[in-house]
Amino acid sequence: MPQFPSADWFQSVRDVYNSDPSLHSGGGGACDTVAGFKIGAESYLITFEGLQCADVRSAPDKEMNDADFIIEMSEELWTDMVANVQANGKADLNHTLNSIDLTQEESIAFSPVDDQYRQDLFYRFNQNFQDFFDASARVETTFK
Amino acid sequence: MADSKDSGAAVPAAVAGAIAAAGGEMVSGVPEPTFEWMGLTNQWGVRVRPDEHGLRLGDLNVGIYGEVPEVWDDQTRRPRGALPRPGIPPLPYNLRAKHQMWADCAADLYEEAIQRRWIPATEVPWDTLETLPEDVERAVCQVLTELMQYNNVEIEIINYWQDQMSYGYYEVKQYLATTSFDCARNIEALRKRALSNGGGLGLESRGSVNRMILESRGGWTESVAYLYLLRGTFAMQILRGLLVHAHNDAERFIYSHMIQDHARHLTYGYDHLKYSITHQDGQAGIMQTLLSIGEAMMGTELDDPVLRSAMAIIMGGGIEAGRTKGMDAYLHLVGDFVRDYLSICDWLGVEREERLNPNIAKYLEY
Amino acid sequence: MSEAEVIQDSPEYELETDWMDNMGEWGMQAKPGKRGLTLEEIRIGSYGDLPEVSDNMSGHPRGAAERPDAYRVGGYGVRSLKEIWLDNATFLYEEAQQRQWSSATDIPWETVEPLPDEVEEAECLLCTFFNEVEFVAGDVPARWIAKTTPDYMEPRHVLLAQVMDEARHMDVFRKRALANGGGLMRMSGATSGFVGSIDLARDFTEMSTRLHVSGEGAVLSMFRMGELFGQNEAEKRMYRLCAQDEARHVAFGVMHLRYLNKACPERREEIHAYLDEAEAQIMAGLQNPAGTQAETSEALAILLGGGKQGYDEGHKKLLVVRRRQLKEYMQRVKTAGFGDRFEDGRSTVPAQYEAAH
Repeated sequence: MPQFPSADWFQSVRDVYNSDPSLHSGGGGACDTVAGFKIGAESYLITFEGLQCADVRSAPDKEMNDADFIIEMSEELWTDMVANVQANGKADLNHTLNSIDLTQEESIAFSPVDDQYRQDLFYRFNQNFQDFFDASARVETTFK
Repeated sequence: MADSKDSGAAVPAAVAGAIAAAGGEMVSGVPEPTFEWMGLTNQWGVRVRPDEHGLRLGDLNVGIYGEVPEVWDDQTRRPRGALPRPGIPPLPYNLRAKHQMWADCAADLYEEAIQRRWIPATEVPWDTLETLPEDVERAVCQVLTELMQYNNVEIEIINYWQDQMSYGYYEVKQYLATTSFDCARNIEALRKRALSNGGGLGLESRGSVNRMILESRGGWTESVAYLYLLRGTFAMQILRGLLVHAHNDAERFIYSHMIQDHARHLTYGYDHLKYSITHQDGQAGIMQTLLSIGEAMMGTELDDPVLRSAMAIIMGGGIEAGRTKGMDAYLHLVGDFVRDYLSICDWLGVEREERLNPNIAKYLEY
Repeated sequence: MSEAEVIQDSPEYELETDWMDNMGEWGMQAKPGKRGLTLEEIRIGSYGDLPEVSDNMSGHPRGAAERPDAYRVGGYGVRSLKEIWLDNATFLYEEAQQRQWSSATDIPWETVEPLPDEVEEAECLLCTFFNEVEFVAGDVPARWIAKTTPDYMEPRHVLLAQVMDEARHMDVFRKRALANGGGLMRMSGATSGFVGSIDLARDFTEMSTRLHVSGEGAVLSMFRMGELFGQNEAEKRMYRLCAQDEARHVAFGVMHLRYLNKACPERREEIHAYLDEAEAQIMAGLQNPAGTQAETSEALAILLGGGKQGYDEGHKKLLVVRRRQLKEYMQRVKTAGFGDRFEDGRSTVPAQYEAAH
């Protein structure tokens, strides 16, 4: 059972997301972006190409500047979100990425090179990211 | 712009807020709300439910929200059924009568267009394209270039009228948004096909009918008559001819999907013309005049040798057979267009058989 | 009858083939890339060449061979590249194609359940307002599409996709207003044609600055807020999908300004003037904040607070989001290359942003 957060966990979610088109909801669609997730001290890069999550891996900090945008939250907030997905089969009304984002003082998504056009990709491709994390409901998960 | 119940425009929420005023003064505390807007509605308690097809636009026409008046005097952007606000200046929504744009099928066609969307970049099986004989490839590219121009004209004329159409008939405006999106997709697919099999674009259209469509300023109905009844009915035959003679799955996919889209366009067009003719005195007579002019233009265009030769080559499978069976097939195709056209005119109550322009009538022998 | 017999038995007609020697550049072999056969892949040979000024007055597709006797039906007002171009137009268009959705079937309408009256009224007021706002965003690009030469088909196609998106937005908000025991409320009137408004712009860049960068940037934030206060899955999804579309429209505006900034530095002062005007309109309601509490602000505060009893709390949340909205606006304008206005004191948005803490 992969532990959140870990490369194994993200790759398990990726496998689930890629394998079942029903997880790609209407309003998603082809998406091309490289995003980063910062979870406490850990960093991951995720690449979407078309309808697939092409890659997700642990990445050193210096590579994170390659991301179009980075989603950064405290580890507690990340864990709370993933646990909510586990408990409910998908994020409930208060635990979608946007809902969490808007309850924070500052945006959880930012461009590492201060390019709002690239940061806006978080908005343009939001449904795909939501579908990805909702897919994690099918990955039995342990937490630290 | 002060915002009060009796004032003109309310400042949108996105622009208001207790942020520092223009002079940089801090405003603290929460401004006292007025809630004046509460209870201001024409009809409350509406609960439209989705059925097995989802929640469709046509399902919303309940109560006052479904009352589609014959004339919509409001020149603002008031959604149909919403309460008006005094003091709002008018906008140039010049088409404000139902007979100027309506078709009962518009709401259904809007939803159908969305459900039947397709994506040329990834859904057309481009890998099935194979090299064609040079003369056939040139002919295909030529016809596709003409069709691109037809679609461009459709985009331009729709978008010319779109912002003059009032929101009392929003179903039509929404449907026409899907139509011009369809045309964008058609141009995209046709251009991709023309540039991916060793060919290129062809010679531009002479543009007789294009000009007639784009210069139709007598109202959207006139534009529809030329765009759909005349040009559109012909274009459908061209698309069918292309489909029958498609060379590979990529072409079959493109043409069959374009036919699907175009059928929707024609449905709206014919339905609107019918509504206009049956709801406006004298419109049948006006249509007769418009079609007399239009047929002459159409006849001129049909005489242009470029499209005719290109289609003949496609339908014959090459230049040699194009001179015989290919041209034979094309002339029969044009004959089918004229027969369809006459049949639709009959249905509309605008019989044209006795008055048909000779330059069009000559195709009836095929 | 054999093929040969058919040919033999058919009459022989004249077949003109001169046009075959008068076509566009030949031998094109565009191939699908990673994202399929996109508009980017077909920008090959001379078909990818963009004229700085278009003299295509017959409306032919870019790259088609011209006829000397073709009718000049164009009359296009937008005929220079600098007026409309943006470097990522092909990507935005293909993205729009890929990410269409249906308000009829992609929104889980069955999850909408009765809400307290005041919350339903607030939601319906907002839906009425959004329905009205999207009318502008649909009509105005449409007008410019008809005026733009097809030589610039890529940005034109993005605008055509926008008109489609806005039609869908009009539709989804009307559906929500009529799906839960409510109805449409009073129109806002905020979308009427006042001087300097989006409607009345006579220059494409002016229109785009006001519509895409300023107007749709603000609406994007409101759609995102919608996901925060959405009471059910249908509302959350509705606002999220609308926000996706809106972000694409904003991207058009930002990238067009970025292009213009490089291609037409002589227009910088002019663009700053449009931004001045857009920001002044944003601020116009603030001259007396206590008196300019827009109806939609009140509705938002009710929704964010969960009802009238939570109004104050909702209002505070609204301010937090508006602060975010101002920050993102500044970031977008900086990305477009006009950030100097926030450093040299020309814009008062930074002061507003600081004051909103």
